[in-house]
Amino acid sequence: MLNTLKQVFRSPRFLVGFIIFITIFLTVIIYPLIVTVNPLDMVGNGNFFKPGTYVNVSETMTAKKYTLNVDVSSASKLDRQLDETQRSKMSDWLVRFGGVDESEIDTSDAAALVELWKNHYSKDVDQKGLIAADKKYFARLDGKIDNMLASSGIIIATENEDGTLSENSTIDDQAYVNIKDLQTNRTFILGTDNFGRDVLTELVAATKVSLQIGLIAGSIATFIGLILGLLSGYLGGTVDNIITFITNLFTVIPSFIILVLISYSVGSGARGVGLVAIIIGFTSWTWTTRSVRSQVISLRNRDHVNLSKLSGHSMLRIVFTDILPYIASYVVMALILQISSGILAEAQLSMLGLGPATTKTATLGLMMNWAMQYSAHLNGSWWAYFPVILTIALISFSLNLMNTGLDQVFNPQLRD
Amino acid sequence: MTKSKKSLLALILAASMAASLASCGGGSATTSTPAESSASSESAETSSEEASSEESSTSEAEATTAGSTPRNETVYFGGQQWGTLNDFNPMSAGSNNWCQSQGDSSRVFVYESLFIYNMLDGKLYPLLGTDYAWNDEQTALTVHLNPDAHWNDGTPVTAEDVAYTWEVNVKYASSRGLDMSQYIDSIEATDEHTVTINAKLDDSGVSINPLKVVDYIAQTYVMQKAYLEKVEERCNYDAEAVKLDTMEDLVVSGPYYPYYYDDQKVVYQRDDNYWGQADSMWGKLPVPKYLAHTIYSDNNAAQVAFANGEIDCNQQFITDVQKMWEEQDLPITTYLDEQPYGICVQLPTAWFNVEREGLDQVAVRKAIAMAVDYDQIISSAMSNQSPSFKDVPRSIMNPTDGEQKMYDHDAVKDLQWVGKDIAGANTLLDEAGIVDSDGDGIREYNGKNLSFQAECPSGWTDWNAALEIVAAAGKEIGIDISTYFPDANTYYADLTTCNFDIGMWSPAGASVNGIYSRAMGLFSSSYIQLESNWSGNFGHYVNERADEILSLLPHETDEATLKNYYTELTEIYLTDVPSFTLMYRPQYFYACNETVWTGFPVQGDGIPPTVLTDGYGIAGLYQLELVNP
Repeated sequence: MLNTLKQVFRSPRFLVGFIIFITIFLTVIIYPLIVTVNPLDMVGNGNFFKPGTYVNVSETMTAKKYTLNVDVSSASKLDRQLDETQRSKMSDWLVRFGGVDESEIDTSDAAALVELWKNHYSKDVDQKGLIAADKKYFARLDGKIDNMLASSGIIIATENEDGTLSENSTIDDQAYVNIKDLQTNRTFILGTDNFGRDVLTELVAATKVSLQIGLIAGSIATFIGLILGLLSGYLGGTVDNIITFITNLFTVIPSFIILVLISYSVGSGARGVGLVAIIIGFTSWTWTTRSVRSQVISLRNRDHVNLSKLSGHSMLRIVFTDILPYIASYVVMALILQISSGILAEAQLSMLGLGPATTKTATLGLMMNWAMQYSAHLNGSWWAYFPVILTIALISFSLNLMNTGLDQVFNPQLRD
Repeated sequence: MTKSKKSLLALILAASMAASLASCGGGSATTSTPAESSASSESAETSSEEASSEESSTSEAEATTAGSTPRNETVYFGGQQWGTLNDFNPMSAGSNNWCQSQGDSSRVFVYESLFIYNMLDGKLYPLLGTDYAWNDEQTALTVHLNPDAHWNDGTPVTAEDVAYTWEVNVKYASSRGLDMSQYIDSIEATDEHTVTINAKLDDSGVSINPLKVVDYIAQTYVMQKAYLEKVEERCNYDAEAVKLDTMEDLVVSGPYYPYYYDDQKVVYQRDDNYWGQADSMWGKLPVPKYLAHTIYSDNNAAQVAFANGEIDCNQQFITDVQKMWEEQDLPITTYLDEQPYGICVQLPTAWFNVEREGLDQVAVRKAIAMAVDYDQIISSAMSNQSPSFKDVPRSIMNPTDGEQKMYDHDAVKDLQWVGKDIAGANTLLDEAGIVDSDGDGIREYNGKNLSFQAECPSGWTDWNAALEIVAAAGKEIGIDISTYFPDANTYYADLTTCNFDIGMWSPAGASVNGIYSRAMGLFSSSYIQLESNWSGNFGHYVNERADEILSLLPHETDEATLKNYYTELTEIYLTDVPSFTLMYRPQYFYACNETVWTGFPVQGDGIPPTVLTDGYGIAGLYQLELVNP
């Protein structure tokens, strides 16, 4: 046994697959111990907040200030923040509507350009021939420039009882706060999703659920497939005919359609994680049955089996001691593949909206479903779906790697 | 990151999504659910659209393909036609034709109504009719027709046509005829250009509902008598056959006429002989020669096309629409520059079925309504394209100023909840004795767990997300709410036969009698006995006082008294919670891409954002300009 394990771990493919899988597995277990927030908590008030650290603005006002000697004068701000396209658009506007001669404009000198802009731009000028979107663009740009020019510091004021404002303090341009001084910041490593939920936390919870579903579904499918395959292969005759007939029947009907139909008829109220896993398990056993059956048929006339028969051993004993150990490695590999396809089946079901309920559990498929419904892929919110795809891919990749690794070890034809 | 890098990244991500989906396949077959088809088609869509945007400049030579029209003479619409159009018959019940919509703001670019509604000032503007007036007893409404109006076959639009349209609608029991014949007795042609509409009177000789009579002239298409007679004859005067006639040889008075349609697109061509170019109407023809609508497979495909400038005027919910101009630098504008980007006049509402055990309890209904996080619905489900309930406190009114002034804000101030009040909701339930006594986290009523389904059609993204947020609120207060998104037809059957726990639907939006229609929809017990109830009060709520007010409203003209009535209705609405508004929503989402056309209506020019075709919004078609003439 130990020897077999050693052999298995010597296979580089298995090892890589195993490491990936264990990493995911450990993350799923350890992460919730560190981050204890509810993964379904709708923190963000809006769709798809970018990844990053969110700092409480009012806290930064009162936090300890450090003065850094960094050049924050408006000139350098302008230089940094006005990019080439903005400058050329400004110069276009000035020539077309501001009555400025092209020779007066030097787009490389941001400060001079902005001065010209402030002298000539007004959104009320008749901008004939300019489309509404561009008019709005220039009005927005003008506002942005005003913000850049505001170098005199921002005043913090509080409202008195009689409604007047009294100045509390002024924020210097060179004032900085250290992010470590702030207590209430919140980091979303992978941003938020369309409901404003933390994607990373949700992803970890979803991966856990997916692994559970895969494990339950895979075990059920393998168990059913194994029992039916053993019976069919060992007993032969009428039993074999009946089981083969049923198996063929289920093979011909695409299992995913059965899966969809059952999930739909169960209704969303009852579709918990367990039930979805069981449904998947009960619809994906057929190929295990067929392959176990064929393996058993090739085994059942071997000498050691015949000897057992002659010794008067019971059928159960023969099956469990003389046949099962010979196909055990094969069954383990089948189990791995079943787990992998169980996870994928859940993702597919949830993407159709036939998985578990959104507000009760997070699953990988549900995350994809909502990201797609809110067109995350069209508005650049990659964090809402790409990590999910990557996770699904990594899980099934690692399981498949482990499977080929095992195959290499156990299959004599593939052994080096 | 620059734009090109971004789109490259998008392409890679889309490709990887396709790859992962393919690996999901595992031999599994195809199903016909729309979600599935959109899921699998989408990555292909993204990449093919990317490719085609480059090609489009070189493909001008293909202009000979069927139904194609020069780009600079065609305005493309989006989000209104999702399948091959099935008929041109205004009397048919199942028409999916983009050109037809008889409602609050009727769509008038093919068929025309007598008057058109402008939701901005709440007034009716002349179209086929020039003016209308009640007699002193409010029993007969006289409408004068524009003598310039003529059909596209050249014959004039006469009072006979108006009267015959009514006759046919009633004779063949179209849904409009059935509905309106409760309020209208007859329509007569007094002379060639004058029509008298006689209201139906009750026993005391007072018209049953004068408001509905006015609705009729704003909503109903006028059809040509000669043409209708032809249709009747070819259908052997059989009611079903008349309603199912496709009317492909239609005779209409509007500025556009069907030009081409197939399963890819629908095109209407301008009738250069259109009567509206007379000085008594618009004084000119609408600018675009063609109005076209490409049929896209799903929302995502349409959104990509819109971003690429293949749709000019788009009626589609777009997540974070502001990103299109702020981050992607696309020449796209909305009606308002700032949130909520449009004029919200609809009130998507969750209706409680008050006949269900548990939901017959006011405390349960109110607790659910109080616990819901409306800010979250507005910011995430609606992507901030809705004013919040802090700005516009809940009532039976939509957020427009005209409606807001119609109830007493101070009188109902204490009743208006803002939401996410978990503590308040829990207290309310505890006080009502509805508690969790078996410790499973769910409260019981009469020994049974409070467990409900919140239902709306699948694929209605913003509604789906809103109901998910309702379900999340239920979890917080010990009421099990699960969402249920069946296909639309199953849902319609459930909603109209009161076979749901919590259902979602919008009562009447902006129309000439918007508040009254909405109040009817929210409270009227007269809808309960309807076998298939599309009209409102889906949850079978009964309140005698509300019914009494509803019967008084149509005859009341004094604004102060009206305001009192509406305040009282709002009180009932907020106390009994037969339903509750989840968000405010525009009548149509409306965003325009100025790649080819400009001059789309925006706030300030007096034309409502009804996608260039509905009600007074059609005035927008007369002010469009080419970006590069």
